Amino acid sequence: MHTRYRGLSLLLTLLLSPLTLAQDLPTLKWGGDKNGGAPFIFEEDGRLTGFEVELAEAFAKELGRRAVFVQNQWDNLPELLDRPNQGRSDDIDIVMNGYEFSQERHAQSPTSVPYYIYTFRLIGRKDDDSIQSWHGLSEAKPRKKVGVLRGTASQRYLEQRYGEKIEIVPSETVTEMLQLVSDARVDATVQDSPAADYYVNNARFPKLRVVDEPVGTGYYVLLTRKSDSELREQLNAAIRKLIRTGELRKLYQKYGLWNAAQQRLSYLAEQSWPAVVDELGEEDLRSRPAMTISRQNVFKNLLLAAIMTLQLAFVSFPLAIVLGMLVATGRLYGPAIVRIPCIIYVEVLRGTPLLLQLFVIFYLLPQLGVLAESETLSNWLSLAPFTAAVIGLALNYSACEAENYRAGLLAVPKGQMEAALALGLPWRSAMRRVALPQAMRIVIPPVTNDFIALFKDTAICSSILIVELTGLYYQYKTYPGIAVELALAVGLLYLLMSYPLSWLAQRLERKLTPHDGGRP
Amino acid sequence: MIQVQNLTKTRGTLKVLDDVSLTIHDHDVTALVGPSGGGKSTLLRCINGLETFDCGTITAEDVTLTHGSHAEKSLLALRRKVGMVFQSFNLFPHMTALENVMSGPRFALSQSREQAEATAKALLTRVGLSEKANARPANLSGGQQQRVAIARALAVQPAAVLFDEPTSALDPQMATEVFSVMKDLAAEGLTMIVVTHDMDFAERATVVHRMVAGRVVRSGSPADILHEPHA
Repeated sequence: MHTRYRGLSLLLTLLLSPLTLAQDLPTLKWGGDKNGGAPFIFEEDGRLTGFEVELAEAFAKELGRRAVFVQNQWDNLPELLDRPNQGRSDDIDIVMNGYEFSQERHAQSPTSVPYYIYTFRLIGRKDDDSIQSWHGLSEAKPRKKVGVLRGTASQRYLEQRYGEKIEIVPSETVTEMLQLVSDARVDATVQDSPAADYYVNNARFPKLRVVDEPVGTGYYVLLTRKSDSELREQLNAAIRKLIRTGELRKLYQKYGLWNAAQQRLSYLAEQSWPAVVDELGEEDLRSRPAMTISRQNVFKNLLLAAIMTLQLAFVSFPLAIVLGMLVATGRLYGPAIVRIPCIIYVEVLRGTPLLLQLFVIFYLLPQLGVLAESETLSNWLSLAPFTAAVIGLALNYSACEAENYRAGLLAVPKGQMEAALALGLPWRSAMRRVALPQAMRIVIPPVTNDFIALFKDTAICSSILIVELTGLYYQYKTYPGIAVELALAVGLLYLLMSYPLSWLAQRLERKLTPHDGGRP
Repeated sequence: MIQVQNLTKTRGTLKVLDDVSLTIHDHDVTALVGPSGGGKSTLLRCINGLETFDCGTITAEDVTLTHGSHAEKSLLALRRKVGMVFQSFNLFPHMTALENVMSGPRFALSQSREQAEATAKALLTRVGLSEKANARPANLSGGQQQRVAIARALAVQPAAVLFDEPTSALDPQMATEVFSVMKDLAAEGLTMIVVTHDMDFAERATVVHRMVAGRVVRSGSPADILHEPHA
């Protein structure tokens, strides 16, 4: 009902809006990620809103253009901008989504003058006295789990200030992370001040509070293409005008984002950009997380991520095999009361995406406890990311394995089981000694295939706070100049780890196949 | 002694076995003859518990199987008394000849590896295949495979062995080699029930039953049954 209603209202808006007039205007396509959430870009009543959405419209109006939003994963927005503009529907002119200024980023995608001055805010739970200050974070034993948006300046800030003293937990959306802190599954989080103001200071997460003073002043800027200097100048002029007319202030006040710090915008925007940054106070520069990273550090973390990938694969796949065998035999030989649940199990787990299953296991399962109003159940169901990932992978792949084994068992001639039973072997022994070993040999190629697939699917676990290879890639690729090398390194590591697996499987297959001159 | 009483089995509307009663005495060689589709193999498979039936009873020594009593316990007891040799051998391809013969003692009788191996080696020698102990079934000729299968059936020391067309899949020379093993076993007093189209072998049986359309139509000595003109 609700979604239909929403669709209808969307249609009405489309029909009634002065779209037909605006249609003729050239577009200003801007890239952002609404998963980053409020107050930047988000959906409310089926409509895209947020201060950046309104800013884009204001810029477009100044430029005599029509703002068009293009959704893309946050980490990938600079790459999207770098693609040559060929007028495709997802080509963009600018990126605007809380991207902060740095000299390195400016060198890659020239930035506009700043449109917002932000700080990092430390967010903890009201009922948790153990986190009282930024300084206290590094003293805590055991190490505090501190969440950040993956690949953002706040992650770099934490890495560079605290290093190994805290455990950094990267997420892809702000609200997910705030919920995790609220549920005490993560100790604290560092977010940009707009998100902290919007969600925490406005009590949208009543259990959370902002701890200590803001740190690390930074500037949100627009990213543009190197070749688009004319557009950049127009945008700079638009930002200056919005500041001068007070329109920008009004907009920020509407979202509760205006504060004294923003008054510096009018000074900064009028200076020569980005040269003015060099003249800024010592404090500003010192508190900025550097945009460089030591190779040694990257290498060490790549290794750790590779180990995590291996652990995920090697713990979950044996579980998937055992579960799969049980389900396959249940489906083939069980009475209806066993067979039918097995069929449903396979179809449901095979027919839904792993990503969704992981989300349900990690984020939604604890809600069962909330529904049942049982805190113990809720705590018990609040699985650690690794546990949730292993369960998700094992369940998902057990459905595929069950089908492999079922096919394998069906391929064993009927006479084999009969001969074993006629000898007086109990059914279970006949299965174990005669049918399964033969089925095993038949299923080695598809099972190997699945293992390699699972190996690569561990990448999806980065969506539930696990830092494995692909997650690490996204964490570090925002450091300029590292993305290509890093992608190659990560790809190579996957290959280095998966190739020996297929080699092993081939050997196993040869070993188990009797030397029989080609007969199966 | 194996007793089959009033055994009836239907498949759809077809009566595969129609009120079959037979008594198999110890040390007898019983031949089941008759046209294909007469129910001979089905009868054998019922006696080994591989197929269920609608009414009647099967009694082997002290184990009785009735309709609906195919519980694993009584099936296991029955199968340990009655071995089976199949038309298509059904050797386990992932085991050597020796391991095939050992599989019954090991996994059905839970004997130790040493004990099972000793039994198996002796039986392979008895069927003339001691030098093929470590060969896989795929590397044996059909006749050799069937001889291994016979050794495998004997390894659990059954009171009787059922042979379901043991030579139908073999060329005449290999059939001869299998029959010669079976003749030796008969001479040693093994109780055997043999479904066969081979008249030479049937001639040597103690009793012959002719089955047509699920019924035993004639029973008697080979001379009586095999030489009378078919009705």
